[in-house]
Amino acid sequence: MFLRVLSASFRAEIIKLFRSPFLIALVMVQAVTFLFLVTLFGLTGAFAPTALIDYDKGPLAKEFVKNLENAHHSFSLMFNYDYKKALEEIRHGNLVAIIMIPQGFSKAIAASRTAPIGVVIDNIDTDMSMDIQRALPSAITDFGRNQGFKEIRVESAEKDLIDHDTDFVTYMVVSALVLAALVISGILSGVAVASEFESKTVEFLAVSPIHPLVVFIGRVLAANIVSVIGLTVAVAVGLIGWGIKPLYPLQMAGVLLVSVFIFGLVGMALGVSMKKAFPVASFIFGVALPLYLFSGTYEPERFDGNLLWAMAHFTPLYYAVGIIEHAVLGLKVTPESVTVNYLALAGWALLALYVSWRLTRKNILS
Amino acid sequence: MEITVAFNKVDYKIGTTTILNNISLDIKAGEITGFLGLNGAGKSTLLSLINGLRNQTSGKITLLGTELPSDDGRLRSKIGVVFQETALYEELTTFENLEFAAALYNLENTKERITEVLELLKLMDRKNQIVKTLSGGLKRRVAIARGFLHDPQLLIIDEPTLGVDVEARHAIWSHLRLLKSQGRTIIVATNYLDEAQALCDMVAVLHKGRLLTTASPDYLVSRAGYCLDVECDAEAGEKFIDILSGKKGVLRADTTPSGLSIFLKDRTLKKQMLDIIVGTGKINGFRFRSPDLAEVFKSLQEKNDHVP
Repeated sequence: MFLRVLSASFRAEIIKLFRSPFLIALVMVQAVTFLFLVTLFGLTGAFAPTALIDYDKGPLAKEFVKNLENAHHSFSLMFNYDYKKALEEIRHGNLVAIIMIPQGFSKAIAASRTAPIGVVIDNIDTDMSMDIQRALPSAITDFGRNQGFKEIRVESAEKDLIDHDTDFVTYMVVSALVLAALVISGILSGVAVASEFESKTVEFLAVSPIHPLVVFIGRVLAANIVSVIGLTVAVAVGLIGWGIKPLYPLQMAGVLLVSVFIFGLVGMALGVSMKKAFPVASFIFGVALPLYLFSGTYEPERFDGNLLWAMAHFTPLYYAVGIIEHAVLGLKVTPESVTVNYLALAGWALLALYVSWRLTRKNILS
Repeated sequence: MEITVAFNKVDYKIGTTTILNNISLDIKAGEITGFLGLNGAGKSTLLSLINGLRNQTSGKITLLGTELPSDDGRLRSKIGVVFQETALYEELTTFENLEFAAALYNLENTKERITEVLELLKLMDRKNQIVKTLSGGLKRRVAIARGFLHDPQLLIIDEPTLGVDVEARHAIWSHLRLLKSQGRTIIVATNYLDEAQALCDMVAVLHKGRLLTTASPDYLVSRAGYCLDVECDAEAGEKFIDILSGKKGVLRADTTPSGLSIFLKDRTLKKQMLDIIVGTGKINGFRFRSPDLAEVFKSLQEKNDHVP
């Protein structure tokens, strides 16, 4: 009987969802939107336009520009400016900074004299100012080393912990997949369950011989199908558009499916608790981004201090991010093993089921 | 006769507010029993104590031999409930709603049973229509169909004809009478005395959470009196009241904005009273009707006693 009711409620919810093709389309768009959102976030300021005015035009000035371009920075050098035009553009917000190589730069360097590099910065955002302040000394050091300045006696000897580098945007896009799973699956499941209370159909369930929770789980499973469709589109866009090549594709698929199911159960618990669709959707959407940022999306959360790291353990996204970063990029971003992360997610599933079970009859009777 | 539901000194309170007060009542098997009362009388609450959506604060309720509250799924499968707000899945078709209900009640031969019920309630032509596109009357019929799909021993219906047109109202009444003729026990909560008269073997009259009386609908109507409304001016009305007061067969006479209402013990007194009135003064018109629910309440409260 349990399986029959589960299957009937699954079928009923699938019928209902697929009678709203616009909703399905929105789910797919929403899944992909998160990838764009975090990408934009990662790319913000990465190509900040910076005018470079070379008054010298000598060989050493050209060499310095090459060093500047190779230095670690997040700006993009633009060369077709004179000072007046550049100043006008920086005031209009079209440029972030102006870097000026003075006339006589090459001669001064050749004669071992100090040559000042002029810089004008729009310090509306100190992140940008600091980027220029970091990049210039780095470029000057490289330039000096290449020119054989004897005064530079220190250099870094880098040894990487991981055998491959990971692009910041890629790191974020991968973890955005579990964010999308939380938002889509949580909202679809939460709304499906809350609407039972709103339309009072839950009363019909309550007077039937079976516990309404069985029906809710059937609805969550149906909402999971639509969530998986949305996530499949997001994964395809991630693989093709961002060129992500998962190291362990099956594990990636596994963690996404598990995330969809568990976040669906969390949505169900919220639906039972709140009994109204709109607050459920608003709540999940409202907390998703803070939870996402809170769960090691920029870098392993333990880098931000023990307090934040400890608090992050109370969000299911922390464990899901840990598993997916390992599955796709081979990174270990949580000290806990993948198995422990899966167990923690299973714990969240049990908690969501327990809360739903405890509250269902109570909330119907109230 | 077998008792399907027995209330014994039942109270239901929300916080310190008493919603139902000391209800004792037996509902007999195979009958249609009505819970009659104005809005807020406690009818729906009384129904929800039977269907398990609420638990009594004190007192004892026995349903089909089992004391309530009970978590017994087998007991719930013996009752069918039709809610005031239908509680149908609006995005599904009539058939899909019934198919889902069939799964909840683990029915066998689902398609045959659904077809049988749809035919009984004349809903076959609406089988594949999405519920939200149905009229209020049709939705209520679908809800009734769902309520007795699993062939319950007891069918509980809250406001069976709320918001439906006259034609649908009579159709629903005839379906309920048919179900009764098949041996089912039915409880309806209603605001309408004519509905109680049309359907019920017995009614329990509720007022502000108290059970005023239990009686047959016809008895209640006769107790309140058959009403003769007379249209006349105020001066003539006063004169008529003076003449009619104390006359044999006149239960009472009240002034109304358009004249007066005279309550007669017997229908047959109508002509005799009209003759007296017309012989006494000028009237603009008259009509003879059954009393309404408010008038029944008034008669019950005036006498303040229990009817057998």
